[in-house]
Amino acid sequence: MTGRAKNGEIPAGLLAGLGGALRDAVVLTLVASALGLLVNLFHPRRIPYLAEKEYQTLVPCPVPGGEVTPCQPGDEMVRAADSLPVDARSPAQYASWHLEGAINIPFDYLEPVPQKLLDELNLRLNRRRARRLVVYGDGKNPDSGEQLGRELSGKGFRNVFFVSGGAPALREGTAAPRPEDARHE
Amino acid sequence: MNRFINHPVHSWLGLAARWYLGGVFVFACLHKIAHPAEFALDVATYDMLPLSLVNLAALTLPWVELAAGLMLILGWRARGAALACAGMMVVFLVALASALHRGLDMSCGCFASQSVAEDDPISYLTVLRDSGWLLLAAYVALFDRRALGIDRWLEYRRRRPATA
Repeated sequence: MTGRAKNGEIPAGLLAGLGGALRDAVVLTLVASALGLLVNLFHPRRIPYLAEKEYQTLVPCPVPGGEVTPCQPGDEMVRAADSLPVDARSPAQYASWHLEGAINIPFDYLEPVPQKLLDELNLRLNRRRARRLVVYGDGKNPDSGEQLGRELSGKGFRNVFFVSGGAPALREGTAAPRPEDARHE
Repeated sequence: MNRFINHPVHSWLGLAARWYLGGVFVFACLHKIAHPAEFALDVATYDMLPLSLVNLAALTLPWVELAAGLMLILGWRARGAALACAGMMVVFLVALASALHRGLDMSCGCFASQSVAEDDPISYLTVLRDSGWLLLAAYVALFDRRALGIDRWLEYRRRRPATA
């Protein structure tokens, strides 16, 4: 740092040698990149240099999840007067069939449940004096009902149950046993 | 201004900044080098590069991080390494800002892949952190005095009077 600067000027010393440093940075980048490409040839987890297919980059929302208890479609609580059924499927599926008295809260993997629907759910719970939420979804794996149940539980709702097998099982009156059930019990 | 620039404290501040920044970059690259496929997925998630460039970026970027980090720690061409770090930080900041602007809810992928870094979501704090590292890299690039390191040793050898 030997540069002399007049008042208000950038001292030459501060920037002196920056051209050489820039050259070093470019050389570093090129050599390290070449090394990275070379190492990939021998890497036990090597990947193709050019991606061959689209990456699955669906990013689920980190919605806080809570406890949720599985139940069977034939359980008494599913249709009990002090239970509020929640349909996690799309509005069209809800329109085609739903449990009597069910409220439709479509589950979206990317978006949290809108506050407006949560307020409506609270209102319905109070009106019905319900003691538990019984959520059912599409019955797939993962089940949208279980996912929505977790989300609602994470948002502070208590006594949240989800129907194993979802709407298809409810319509048939039986639940297909799923490996996840054992985990929750 | 000159008194500030020439203050001896920059020798030691620069050294501390070099070691800290070098450590950060070396630490950041380890998981990416060990798991290139996971890092490629992280790169793809930012949705900024065409598909054909995703793997190339995933294969080269961690090695540039490693080289720059080691050079900073060892004090070899440290200003160049700091400039490379600053360049990478600018790229990361642009990617982060773009992801935040688009409302992507994802892990940063800065130190580990999405799959193991669920608790490291991108946020404006991530931008702030990276901006701090960018400033640190700029500081080293501008103020490095070659305190301790290979550059210092080479300079010492160059200046040492030849003995019979």
